[in-house]
Parts: sequence; structure tokens; C-alpha cells
Amino acid sequence: MKKSFAVFLKRNLAFAKLAIVSNLEYRLNYFVDAIVQPLLTTGIEVLLWFAVFQGAHTTTINGFGREYYLSYALWGAFFARIATSWMYEFRMIEEISSGSINSLIVRPMSFYEYYLSQLLGYKFITTIISMFVPVIAAWIFDLPTIYSRIPLAIVLCFYYLILVHTISFIVSSIAFHLTKISSFTVAKNLLLWILTGELFPLDLIPDPFKKIIITLPFSSGVFLPVGYITNRVTHAEFMQGFVSVTIGLVLLNFLGAVLWKKGLSSYTGTGA
Amino acid sequence: MRSHHHGQYLAVDSICFIKILGNSGQSPIFYKTMSIVIETKDLSRVFKTYQKPEGLKNSLRGILKREYTSKIALDKTNLKIESGKIIGLVGANGAGKTTLLKMLSGLVTPSSGDALVLGYRPWERNYEFLRQISILLGQKNQLWWDISPVDSYALLARIYDLDITATRKRVQDLAEMLQCSHVLTTQLRRLSLGERMKMEIIGALLHEPRILFLDEPTIGLDIVAQENIRNFLANYVKEKEPTVILTSHYMDDIATLADRLLLISKGNIVYQGTVDEFVTNSNAELAQDEKVDFEEVIRRFLETESRIR
Repeated sequence: MKKSFAVFLKRNLAFAKLAIVSNLEYRLNYFVDAIVQPLLTTGIEVLLWFAVFQGAHTTTINGFGREYYLSYALWGAFFARIATSWMYEFRMIEEISSGSINSLIVRPMSFYEYYLSQLLGYKFITTIISMFVPVIAAWIFDLPTIYSRIPLAIVLCFYYLILVHTISFIVSSIAFHLTKISSFTVAKNLLLWILTGELFPLDLIPDPFKKIIITLPFSSGVFLPVGYITNRVTHAEFMQGFVSVTIGLVLLNFLGAVLWKKGLSSYTGTGA
Repeated sequence: MRSHHHGQYLAVDSICFIKILGNSGQSPIFYKTMSIVIETKDLSRVFKTYQKPEGLKNSLRGILKREYTSKIALDKTNLKIESGKIIGLVGANGAGKTTLLKMLSGLVTPSSGDALVLGYRPWERNYEFLRQISILLGQKNQLWWDISPVDSYALLARIYDLDITATRKRVQDLAEMLQCSHVLTTQLRRLSLGERMKMEIIGALLHEPRILFLDEPTIGLDIVAQENIRNFLANYVKEKEPTVILTSHYMDDIATLADRLLLISKGNIVYQGTVDEFVTNSNAELAQDEKVDFEEVIRRFLETESRIR
């Protein structure tokens, strides 16, 4: 039992390294992805909040001043970068629809763990590299940030990332039956854009929708970690995120396992 | 064929092959010599495909209602394959060779029937089973496209829980035999087809599989490269004695490597026996003054196949 767990860990560490090694083969693409994209997103969000405050002729919205929204925009872009998965979900779908999954399912490993470890490895290295942007910006512009809360906020976001991967696993399982489903990814990510709190802080939503949406596990992607760092969310509310993600993981993993099994039994070993 | 599914006991024609398992997932405790390692019983697979008639009108109609046809890719196939044999699987395009290979390797689940490979149902993908097999699909990459072969092999060593130092040594040995040591550190996507196939072969053999499924391993290669790979495989199987199921459209591959021949036609096995017997039988049916070699017999068989289709 001990040995098989050690084998499992070594194997998954190797998958995480694979993500880093293969992404660094294309250095420029990687740095645009890790640095330039979050910088652009931050710029757009900051401009948006400047415009909102100027247009509304007010110093506070929902009890928070402009600096709080600028800080939310800055950290929101950083956490959203961790909490979304386009690239790996597209790859998972492509593996199934093109049949290149053949080379994975005949090996002693699971498709789920293979992509989860790659996603975590990729996000881990990207988080370290791209974290310089919000830390330096928050320090230079003196934006409201509780730095001591950052590590725990990142832990919640990475925990939520497992849920994101499980959703990707469910979406990709559908590719066994429908082949072309990249539109599902786009539609789902647009929905998550709102539900995570990437587009705007979820506490701006009127009740009772606010309570429901914040209770959903998706708020653990952006709103709860960023709200925790920028002092919009209490410690107790923040910790509730771990509970809702755990419940989401149990339910979605069950659904994913059923869909995967059904998909594999209908798989025709596409190509070759 | 008898089988108790969850693991205490499995028996396949108990005279030939007996295997006892402990708890689910453990390795077999013993095998008899000259065992049957692959056995199928009425193994069948039906594929359902969407039919799209020509034109925009039919595309619009297809949004609401689609027509599907069923095609029997493999029909009630019964096989027994002994360990250590090299089986040449020959048939026309679409005859069911690759479908059979994919079912025996666990890629595809059968529509009906049963199969045991090394005592496991392949499509259950038990890790112990997967550790003992390898499949090489000549038209598909098995290694990682964006990294160098040595990085791929290091990853495979982790997946199959191999000793890293021993794996490196094995890679060097296999690369020397295939004369391709100079490209081990080049990104896979930058290699020529021949070099890539050599890398794929090393990857497939790294964990010393007991059963090796080779689907068109020399496809698209020039004559010299085909011969190199053929010679390499011949030496390898002589030394390691894995059971090999080989499909190829190049009859030299089959004639050089195969102990036994499986001829497949429209999803049915139409001949099982040795290559020599097959040629002798075929010659016996010809006029007295006519003698043909293996390649010619197969060519005639495939021609007849395509006419019947």
C-alpha cells in the first residue's frame, strides 16, 4: 500500500514536471501567457473601475472606496489566472476527439490524475512567476492588501482548481459521444467568469442571489480569496469556501466517474 | 472459458492456463508453461456511424434527426494464442485487424463476447495488466510530441515504476541497436518519420512487455528503414520472447517475423495456422505447374477481398 502510494506520488510529480518542461519548450508563448495576459486583464479591470467611480460621482460603492476595487481588480486578475483552465481542457477534449488518448489509456495511470497533475504543476510555476505583478503593484500604489492572508488564499484557490479540473474532466467525457465540444468550454468559462467573481465582486449582487452565489463552490476561485486579501470577506466566510469546494468535489467526481466509464465503453479507438 | 471476476480465481481452459490471484489487483501467483496468454470467446464489436446525405437541406434535417448505420467490425471471434508466439494479423483495410488489436489491448470495449489477456479482461484496464502489455500504433504517436525522447522515457519510467538508472541504460542499449542514439535529445516533433518510429519502438519496449501489439510498425518507411526495424524486432523477440501480435501491409514483415498467421476478412478469422502451411495449402489448390510465394498468396487473397466488398 505504502509502495503503491509512493509510486503514485512519483508518477504525478513527473506529470507536473512534464507540464513545466513542455511549456518551457516554447518560452515566449509561456511568458506571454504567464505575464502579459494577466497584465492586460489587470489594466482593463483597473480602467473599468476608474470609469465606474468617475461616472457614478461617488467615493464608495457598497461601502468600499475606489482603492478597494482597484485592489480587487489587481488580485482578481491574478487569482482568475490560477482558477481558470482553458488550455488543459481544450487538450483533454482534443485527446479524446482525435484519438491521441489511445497512448494514455493503455498505460498504468488515469487520465484524470495525468491532467490534474499537469494542471497543478503548470499553475504552480505560473503562480510563482506572475505573483510579482500584483505584489509590486499593490506595494507601489499602496492598495489595500493583507499580505499575511495571501498564502491561505492561494491554498483555497488551488483546492478550487481541483474542482475546475473535475469540471474539465466531465466536459471532456462528453467528447466521447459528441466529438466537437469546445463550445461547451467557452460557454462554461463565461458562466464561471461571473460565478467566480472575476468580472466584479460577488457582494455587489443583490440578495437573495448574492447569498446563493457566494455559497456555491465557484466563489472560492476568485471572490473568496481576493475578498479575504482585500478585507471584504471575514475569516469564517472564507473558510466556508473549503467546505463548499469539498462538497462540490464529491458530487462532481461521482458524476465524472459515471460519465467517463460510459464514455470509455462507447469509445471506438478513433484513428489508426 | 470460466472466470470469477473480482479476483480470487481465474481459469481459462484449465489444461492450458491457470492463474490464481490474491486480492484484486495483485500479480498472478503462477502460470503453467506453454500457456495460452490470449483467449477470446465470441468477441464482437459493432460500430454505429452517422450517415449524412449530401446537401444543406440534409444538414439542417440532421439537427433534429440523424440516421445511423451499424457495421460489424469484428464478428464472434474465437482465438487462442500461446505465449512467446509472433502472430501476423493480415487482412484488407477495414477487415477488423485494428479493432481486434484495440480490444485485446483494452482500448476498445467489445459489444459482446469475452476475452482474457494474461488472465485479465483488457477493457477493465487493470494496472497490473497494463504494466505487462504495450501497443504501438504506427499511425499515432505514443510519445510526447513537444519534448525530447529522453524526457519521454524518464516519464515512462515513472509511469511503469522502473528504476531510472536501469532505464537510462536500457534506452542507450536499444538506441544503439536501432542506431539512433544521436536523436535521443531532439524534440520528437523535429524528427523524421523513421527516427520517430525508432523512438516509439524504444518507448514501447522500455518496460519489457510480455505482450506486444504492433499495428503497422513500418508504415510509411523506406525499404532500408523497414528492414532495420524488422531486423531489430526479430532480434528482440528472439532474446526476450514476448508474445507479439503484428499487423502490417508489408508482407515481408509478416513473412520474416510471424510464427503464425491469422487471416481476417470482414470481421471474421478465416485462417489460423503457420505461414508455411498457408502457402502449402494455397499451392495445393493451384494448377500443378503454378507455384506462388507467401506475398503472392496474400496479394491474391486481398484482391479477392476487395472484389467481394
